[in-house]
Amino acid sequence: MVLDVTANASDGKQIFHTSKIYMPQATDSRSNQMVLGPDKKLGLIRDTSIQPFAPKEETIEIPLPQGVTEVDLEVNLSYQPRPGDIYPIHNIKKHVSLDPK
Amino acid sequence: MDYNLRYQTKQKFISRLWILAISVMIVFLPGHGTSRASDPSPTQVNSLQELVDRFDSSSCRECHEQIFTQWEKSHHSRSLMGINDYIFIASYLKKGPLAIPSGEKATKKNFPCFKCHFPQIEFATDSVAAEIAKAALDNDKVTVRKLNIGCLVCHREKSVVHGRPDMNAIYGNNDIKDHPETPVRKSPLLKNSLMCGQCHGLGPNLEFETPVQCATLYGSYLHAYIPSGGTETCQQCHMPGGDHYMPPNFNNRTELSERLRNSLPMQVRALAYSFQPKEEDIRPMVVVNTKIFSKAGHRIPDG
Repeated sequence: MVLDVTANASDGKQIFHTSKIYMPQATDSRSNQMVLGPDKKLGLIRDTSIQPFAPKEETIEIPLPQGVTEVDLEVNLSYQPRPGDIYPIHNIKKHVSLDPK
Repeated sequence: MDYNLRYQTKQKFISRLWILAISVMIVFLPGHGTSRASDPSPTQVNSLQELVDRFDSSSCRECHEQIFTQWEKSHHSRSLMGINDYIFIASYLKKGPLAIPSGEKATKKNFPCFKCHFPQIEFATDSVAAEIAKAALDNDKVTVRKLNIGCLVCHREKSVVHGRPDMNAIYGNNDIKDHPETPVRKSPLLKNSLMCGQCHGLGPNLEFETPVQCATLYGSYLHAYIPSGGTETCQQCHMPGGDHYMPPNFNNRTELSERLRNSLPMQVRALAYSFQPKEEDIRPMVVVNTKIFSKAGHRIPDG
């Protein structure tokens, strides 16, 4: 599960992007190196997956470059069983401005 | 002569007594028979076709057409295939701790995945494992497609956990004595989450020479969902009304996206302002807050 947050200036130039990966993470229990694949995984070392009854919350601060007062935000949540294999879940867009409404 | 005859007869009697005694010892030797107690060991078959035939459930379709059609579209009907019918076991046979030089070299030890993906292997010899390995490595989808979690896996093999199931019965939610061909016996397990938990995972499978870890969903259900007050069963969410389609279906991309959208509602808030931690330090910024809620009875994703 991947959360992508992107901010573009009003001229379309990307000023910020970050990703968060939500998944159980395993090693082979012989080192601290994360491994992929059921034939190698044995035990979990960290789990960032989305848990029942436990909302997953992120607060992301995006510093604005000088002269930028408005941004177009795009937040995507997708399921990616393998890199590049994308099942879209949510796509939320917002326009925010430093100028008072 | 008489003495010799009597001596030979006595020797024959003693020999037969020994044979009888050894036979009795073998039968009652610990470990003889099935891994689970009480029932005689089902004969292991030597060919893949025999195994497929033994678990053939095509006759179920004659009366249960709708359920069979639902099941045919489910991942249970192609349990050795991943997304888009990719034969996932082939990749493990080619590279990694379970790899083999050729299909003929495979034994059941190369297939810990079969514990859940093809539990019927319990009733087969290593030569059947080699046949499956060859089919997988040859990308023989017609053959591999025949290996699945069919009716008899859930409605017999997995229906009873306290002892062995009755091999002359199938199991359902009610007793049906006059069911055609085979009587149906009631199994309370079929509506219980433990039924699904037998395969949908607690985490590491340490009983194998090469331990593996696949599904962890039942562990998550037991240790995260239930302690948080969850009350639904696996079947209530994944088999509503007894639907044997049992989503998610990773091959239906639109449907899976929709299912995840419903299971994981997301809220996004955004604020643009100028932060001023101290005099003459003004930092224009946007603060984005995302919150993903979960309606699921287990972690998402699994794996």
